[in-house]
Amino acid sequence: MAARLKRGETTAIESLYDRYGRLAYGLAFRILNERGAAEDVVQDAFVSVWRNAAGFDASRGSLRNWLFSIVRNRAIDRLRGSTRIRSEIDLADAEPRAQVPDAWEAVALDLERKQIQEGFGELPDPQRRTLELAYFGGYTHVEIASRMHVPLGTVKSRMRIGLEKMRTFLTARGVMA
Amino acid sequence: MTAMSCAEAEDLLGAYALEALPEDEMHRVEEHLRTCAEHRAIAGELRRTTLMLPLTVEDGDPSPDLRTRIVEAVKATPAQPAAPRARGTTVAPRRQISRLSTWAARSSRFAVAAVVALALGIGGLIGYQLGHAGQTQVTYAFLGDATAAPGAEARLVYFKDRKQAVVAATGLPRLTSGQVYEMWLIKDGVPVDKGISSSPTGDIGAPLSGDLSQFQQFAITIEPGEQQLPTTKPILVGNLQAG
Repeated sequence: MAARLKRGETTAIESLYDRYGRLAYGLAFRILNERGAAEDVVQDAFVSVWRNAAGFDASRGSLRNWLFSIVRNRAIDRLRGSTRIRSEIDLADAEPRAQVPDAWEAVALDLERKQIQEGFGELPDPQRRTLELAYFGGYTHVEIASRMHVPLGTVKSRMRIGLEKMRTFLTARGVMA
Repeated sequence: MTAMSCAEAEDLLGAYALEALPEDEMHRVEEHLRTCAEHRAIAGELRRTTLMLPLTVEDGDPSPDLRTRIVEAVKATPAQPAAPRARGTTVAPRRQISRLSTWAARSSRFAVAAVVALALGIGGLIGYQLGHAGQTQVTYAFLGDATAAPGAEARLVYFKDRKQAVVAATGLPRLTSGQVYEMWLIKDGVPVDKGISSSPTGDIGAPLSGDLSQFQQFAITIEPGEQQLPTTKPILVGNLQAG
């Protein structure tokens, strides 16, 4: 699909939407809780993928992650009313996720989602809530400490430990390398 | 901007991965990561985990016309041109690579094996249609995944008039107790179970029923017993070209 996008085939955007559109909208709506705004964000994100597809480098991450990152960032920017600083970590430094063929993507995505939802659900409530406030709420660690009435160090620990637990869970299930 | 110590950065890597730091701290962590390989690796792993979080969300139900709006917006938006292709880079014929580009084409061993096999005249392109016998029979050949099933090969002969096919595969990875080989035909991205084999030798010979013109790909997985949908990645997969 990425190759078709790079070649400028508009049908590739239709395929991308058919595969991820509902989840992209679910993500935007989870953040914004408003249908019109969520749809605007999803539309902007797909157009952004289209516009910038030539620069997409599959060795640095999947098309899916790229799309969802755009959706999340735009939704957070809209929610918070400002453009936030983004992580520039080069994911090529980390182990790449195992690749699956296009034909397996729909099946693999379904299996993967179940595992990820299970892993996230198994986190202790304070860790899960902390990750939710950061990722879906766009709050900084200081803001989260204030909202949850806990010391800043506790928030930092919950973030790190929560992500590490998720990674351990997903690695054991073969979702992450 | 003051430099960040390793101890300070260690404390902030989770928040960094979640992009939950104020701007100045994000920049200071970035600076630190440029020179600290250990923390860069940890941050990369945490960041990759963060990228799983969108998948904790359930599908939404957007307006039916959102898809149309996006397609219209895309058609009205010029894509940025791709960077020029480097000199000397060859372009694989689309017929050979087709929709397998995200998987098979990344494996140089696979690609080389396919080309060598073709040169030797023994078939071996990925799902390549080997030839017709009259207008009623068509043969496809597949190679195993370079990592999961190196050396594996399969032939699929489809008898169009009878809508029957036979598959012969050799050199598949040996099964362990309880495992089976499961064959799949894939239609519009959805795998359809086409039977299992528990051959202890790594060789399969099996009939496949159905109108293959309805399917785009064939695959074999190793499963812990017969499954309705695959639970593992294919050890062999290839395209079925219209024959």
